[in-house]
Amino acid sequence: MISSLHRIITIGRNTLTEAVRQKVLNVLLVFALVLVGSSVVLSELATPELGSSDMFDAQIKFVKDFGCGAIGLFGFLIALLSTAQIIPQELHNRTIYTILAKPVRRSEFLLGKFFGIVLLLTLCTALMSLAFATTLYWQESKALSMTEAAYAQNPQWKSNPNAVSSHEKDVQSVLKQTRDPQIVEAVILIFAKLLMTTGIALLISTFATSSIFTIVTTFMIYLIGHMESTAREFWLARGAEASIWQSGLVGLISLLIPDMNSFTIVDEILAGNKVPWSHALNLLGYADVYLIVLLGVSIVIFDYREI
Amino acid sequence: MEIPGLQMSTCLPLSWRLRRAALVALLLGLWAPCKIIWEQRIAKEQDFLRYRGAPITLQLRDQLGQGLTIGVLSGMRSIVADLIWLNVTTAWMNEEWFRMGGYINLCTALQPRAPVFWDMGGWHLAWNASISALHDRTQPNELRRIKASRFWVDKGLEIYKRGLENNPTYWRLWSDTGLLYQQRLKDYRTAAIYYQKASELPNAPVYLERFPAIMYGLAGDDKAAYASWKALWERLTPEQREQKAHWKEKIESNIRRLEPKLSIPKEKRVFPN
Repeated sequence: MISSLHRIITIGRNTLTEAVRQKVLNVLLVFALVLVGSSVVLSELATPELGSSDMFDAQIKFVKDFGCGAIGLFGFLIALLSTAQIIPQELHNRTIYTILAKPVRRSEFLLGKFFGIVLLLTLCTALMSLAFATTLYWQESKALSMTEAAYAQNPQWKSNPNAVSSHEKDVQSVLKQTRDPQIVEAVILIFAKLLMTTGIALLISTFATSSIFTIVTTFMIYLIGHMESTAREFWLARGAEASIWQSGLVGLISLLIPDMNSFTIVDEILAGNKVPWSHALNLLGYADVYLIVLLGVSIVIFDYREI
Repeated sequence: MEIPGLQMSTCLPLSWRLRRAALVALLLGLWAPCKIIWEQRIAKEQDFLRYRGAPITLQLRDQLGQGLTIGVLSGMRSIVADLIWLNVTTAWMNEEWFRMGGYINLCTALQPRAPVFWDMGGWHLAWNASISALHDRTQPNELRRIKASRFWVDKGLEIYKRGLENNPTYWRLWSDTGLLYQQRLKDYRTAAIYYQKASELPNAPVYLERFPAIMYGLAGDDKAAYASWKALWERLTPEQREQKAHWKEKIESNIRRLEPKLSIPKEKRVFPN
């Protein structure tokens, strides 16, 4: 057991090293960091000539949306591109033969590769989150300095308890939005979604003959996953009324494709709405179990594969 | 380069593989109904918490265009809404009010639980568009200008009210609706109701507490104004009255003015002397 774990970790570390060396992934990461940073400029474009505290809400929302959006979008691309290349690249370079000729099980090879991608995604998400936190802090400083400047321009406010109270509430409102602990919840949920995407791409790559096939198919499943809830509701409510083909198709989608749309609650968190941790944990549990199922199926298919 | 015997050494024996495949098929068979039940439970929770935006209909797809629809379908709903909001700002600066109204509707449909869109959208329509219409010299007469202005006020009011349905605990929307009723529609009684609700919500500024009483006064409803001032006075503890010293005078003077005017019996007065 321990030696098996050791082999998985070794393959994972090598996968991470290989992935880090890939220029495409590094370029994607740079783009992600640029997008996160430029969200401040975009937020100003959305509210030009407006300096009142009311507008800080909009600006902070923009920074949060673009920051988390960049983590989700570029994380998705990194997960997709790196996972899709895993097996085809090993086959192309013929390194898989060397590895599997050693006492390494196919399941260990696959789990090691998955572990490597998880490490890569953790690293990328951490870097992008750091950039996001810095941008948010920058936005916070800007909003607070503008609030303070408005307060300083009106010295009579200091003797007015109402004005003092309003000023304090403005400051609190900014801090509440920029230092919202729920942002961590949002990033964790985005990460869980990225892991699910990795699981799907890994499953497809176990039987795919090219990276392009894996990329396109995973992307399609990802899109369908966002509509799975609609298909499921139709199937459960009106499946019996529909034709056998319609019912069969939506039934198949409902039974096999993961519900990616549930993870869009991240938008609600970023809009400042309260999402209980119990709900987030429910979603994380769902993602974990789904991932176990995906990895299980991947291992079986990979065991069958002629190499 | 083929390595002889590699497949045999790396693959499991057939009986084992079949056994494992049967096990996975069984697991998948068990997982599928569990998945549906689990997802339905998550969906129910999300419905309860009102997390869902507008579903992707053909109309919404036509409004969004192909690229943005893919964005929404990829789970980038908030970014798509933000990008559309950039168009709202552009339309506002170019004074293209109908275009701006369309974009506001799109943003609020995509993210109904983002109060910022309702708040700023209502303000753009009810104030910016309506004031611009009031000064529109291309209209042949004043009546047309007033009519056009009122059209945008109604549009803004509609946005505020739909925003309140989706975000009932956001004090600023209640306050902004009150302001609209007060300043643009001169309906002080309704404004008082909205201000009252705004003042009761968390994080609302303290100055809003006085607004309902002032609105009732402006509406000429002295009885309601007196009740509101009195309630405000009674709600304050002696310490709070001291902290809000400059308020105390305002509240007191209003109560003192209204008590004789409404012929309140001395024993029921806040200030009998």
